[in-house]
Amino acid sequence: MKMKMMKKKSSPVNERAAKVSQGDNGNSPLQRESSNGDYRGNLVRDLRLEKPSFKVLQIRDGEKVRYEVESADLEAPVPAIRESKYLRREHCIEIYRWMLLNRRMETALENLHKQGKVVGGVYFGLGQEGCSCASAYALGKDDWMGPMIRNQGALLVRGFRAADIMMQYMAKAGSPTKGRDTTSHFGDLERRNVVAPISMLGDLVPVLTGVALGARLQGKNIAVMTWIGDGGQSTGVTYEGINFASVQKLGLVLVIESNLWAYSTPSDMQYGVKDLADRAIGYGIPGVIVDGTDAMQVYDACHEACERARRGEGATLIEAKMMRMKGHAIHDGADYVPKPMFEYWKRRDPILRMENYLIKEKKWLSSADHEKLIAEVEKQLEAEREIAVNSPMPTPESAAGGVYCDESCHQIKPRYAMPKDRMLGQNEKQVGLKQSEAPVHFK
Amino acid sequence: MPESAVGTEKDREITFAQAVREALAEEMRRDSTVCIMGEDVAEAGTPFKVLSGLLEEFGKDRVIDTPISEAGFTGLAVGAAMTGMRPVVDIMFGDFITLTMDQMVNQAAKVHYMSGGKWKVPMVMRTTLGATRRSAAQHSQSLHAWFCHVPGLKVILPSTPYDAKGLLKAAIRDDNPVVFFEDKMMYKMKGNVPAGDYTVPLGLADIKRTGEDISLIATSSMVQVALGAATMLEEIGISAEVVDPRTMWPLDEKTLIESAKKTSRAIILDEGYERYGVTAELASVIATGAFYDLDAPVKRMGAMHVPIPFSPPLEDVTVPTEQTVFEAARKMCGK
Repeated sequence: MKMKMMKKKSSPVNERAAKVSQGDNGNSPLQRESSNGDYRGNLVRDLRLEKPSFKVLQIRDGEKVRYEVESADLEAPVPAIRESKYLRREHCIEIYRWMLLNRRMETALENLHKQGKVVGGVYFGLGQEGCSCASAYALGKDDWMGPMIRNQGALLVRGFRAADIMMQYMAKAGSPTKGRDTTSHFGDLERRNVVAPISMLGDLVPVLTGVALGARLQGKNIAVMTWIGDGGQSTGVTYEGINFASVQKLGLVLVIESNLWAYSTPSDMQYGVKDLADRAIGYGIPGVIVDGTDAMQVYDACHEACERARRGEGATLIEAKMMRMKGHAIHDGADYVPKPMFEYWKRRDPILRMENYLIKEKKWLSSADHEKLIAEVEKQLEAEREIAVNSPMPTPESAAGGVYCDESCHQIKPRYAMPKDRMLGQNEKQVGLKQSEAPVHFK
Repeated sequence: MPESAVGTEKDREITFAQAVREALAEEMRRDSTVCIMGEDVAEAGTPFKVLSGLLEEFGKDRVIDTPISEAGFTGLAVGAAMTGMRPVVDIMFGDFITLTMDQMVNQAAKVHYMSGGKWKVPMVMRTTLGATRRSAAQHSQSLHAWFCHVPGLKVILPSTPYDAKGLLKAAIRDDNPVVFFEDKMMYKMKGNVPAGDYTVPLGLADIKRTGEDISLIATSSMVQVALGAATMLEEIGISAEVVDPRTMWPLDEKTLIESAKKTSRAIILDEGYERYGVTAELASVIATGAFYDLDAPVKRMGAMHVPIPFSPPLEDVTVPTEQTVFEAARKMCGK
C-alpha cells in the first residue's frame, strides 16, 4: 500500500466537533412539525447572509445563440463570513489550508496538462474549494464519503496525497488504481472510507445510502456524504437514493453543489424550483441552503447533518449556492457564461473571503504566517509533483487479469461488526419455512 | 448427479422454488452478512412466493422491502457490499434488469478491476427469464446474454432444483457480483435435492443425459426441452447427449468441446434471442474447439427475433420446443 495514513492533525474526528459544539437548540432542521402542524416552513433553512437571484436568458442574436443574465444583485457588496457555531481558530486555519492546497494542486495539474503530462482532461473545482473542503471536514473517522469529480479538495481532506490525484491524472502505475481509472476516480474502502466517483450522475446517492444501510445492519449509524451538481440531481437515481434514505432514516448527507452551470446548460433550463433545497420537502427530509463560497456556513450545515445522521435520525439535503468558475473541463473555455456572472462570483472567491476573514476580520493569521502557510503548501505540492512525475507508466501486460477476484486476493469482512443474526434461541421462535406453492400464473 | 454434490441427508424431492428458498435460508443462517432486498420480498415473499417464510425467520432488517426503484436498490446493494455485506437483490421479472444495467455494468462489474484489485462487491442479483407464461413482451424476455457480455460479472442459469440450490449457495459465497437467472416456468418443477449443505462450483458443466450421435447443449429452460427431444430421438434410433453448461461465465468450455468431439454434431439451445446471443458464443466455442471432429455445422436455436407476443398461438412459436428441436436434430443426423 502506497497511501499514507491519514495525518493525525488533519484527521477530522467526531470528538473534536462534539467538544466545540455549543448545542443547536431551536435552530436545527430536526423538528418535522412546528406547533401549528405545518412542517413545510421548518423543513428548509437558509443560512445565507445574502440571497442573490439570477435569471439566465437564452438570446438569439442573428445566427448566434448566447446567454444573458438578469439580476438586481450583480453589484451587491460581498457579505461577511458567517460565524461558525462549531469551529475554533485552528480549525478555520486548517480548512483554509486545505482550500489553498486544493486550488494550488489544480493549478499544478493545469501546468502538468500544458506540459503534455496529463492523459485526457483536467477537471477543476475553482470557486468551489470552500464547499468541497469544509463539507468533507465535517466527516468523522467512521463516516464515509463518495466525492464527485470536482471534489478533489474533499479527497485531500480525507487524507489522500496530492500525488495520488496527480498520478491518477497522468495514468501512472503508482496511482491508487494502478492506471486503471481516471482523474479523481479512486477511493479507499479500508481506512479512509471513500467510494470512488461514478461517472453516471446520481449513481453515488444510492451507493452511499447502501453503505449507510450496511453499517446500520452492522449496528452502527454513520454519516455518508456525497455531492452532486444542480445538473446531476435531475437524474432518477438521485431521487431513488434519497427516497430510500428517507424511508429507512439512513444518514445520507447530500450536498448539492448548485454551481449554476451544468456544462453549458444554465440551471434555469435544468429545474423549475427556485431553490433545490425545497426538494427536501418532497423527500420528507430537512433541507438547508448555504452560501457555497462561505466555508463556515458549509461546515456548520454539514456538521449538523452528520450529527443527525450519527444519531440515526436520517438524511439531510444541503444546497450550496456558488458558481463553477471555469469550464466543464480544461477543454471548455466557458464562453457561453455571461461575463457579469463571473465578475459577481469572482468577488466572492471562497479563498479570498476566507483569507480576509482570518487575517483582517479575526486577526487569527498574521500576514507573515499567511505567507509561511502558502510557502509550505507550495513546497508540499512541489515534492508531491516530483513523486507523481517520477512514477512509471503501467506495463501493457497489466491490462489483463484482475477482472474477477479469487479467494487469495483478500478476505471480505464486515466493516464494523458481524450483524446480529436472528438465530434460534434468542427472542425469535423457530419458524419453519412456509411451503407455499410458487404460482406460475398469478391468480 | 455431479461428483461435486455431497448430500448430508437423504435425498428428497422439492420444487425449484423451494430449492431456491432453502439455499437462501441456509446461507442466511450460516452467515449474518447475507441479506435480501427487493420489491415485495418480505411480507409477500415475492409474487412467485419463492421467499415465503424468510421474513418470519430473519426479520425485516435482513429481508428488506424496498420502494419501487430497481436502479436505486441495486445501487444500494453495491454500497452495502462495499461494507462487507453480501446482499441478494431480487428483480422480480428479468425484463426489469434494463433498469439496473448501469448499477450492474458500470458499478458492480467494474469495481474490482478499476480499483486496482483493492475492492470487491460480493452481491447476487436473482432474477427470472422465460417465455410462455402469457405475460407479453415486457414480462417474458430472457436477457441473460446482456450480462454475459460484461467482464466482471458471473452469470448462472440453473436448470434443476438440485443445481438451483447448489449454485445459489456458491453464488452467495462468491466474492464477485453474480447474476442468477431462474426460469419462472420452472418454479413448480420437482427434483431431488439433498436437505443439507452442498454447493455446485461455478464453471462446471453437467451432462444431463449421455449419448453418442448428437450433442444438445442447452441452458436453463431449454434443458427440459432438450431432454424431451432426446427421448423422442431415441425412439427413432438417435442417441442424443444433453449438456448443461449451468454457468455462462465462468464457462466450462472443455466439457462442451469434448461432447461435440464425441458425437460430431451439436445444437445449441437457449431461450434468449438467437441473434447475437448466448447460442452464438457457445457455437463459436464448439466450432473452434471441435472443428476437425464435426460432421455438420453447429446449429443454434434461440428465441425468434420479435418482442415476445401475448397470444398463445403467437408466443408458442417464438421459442424452441421439443418438436422443433427433435426435427432439427433428426435432419442434422440425416434421418
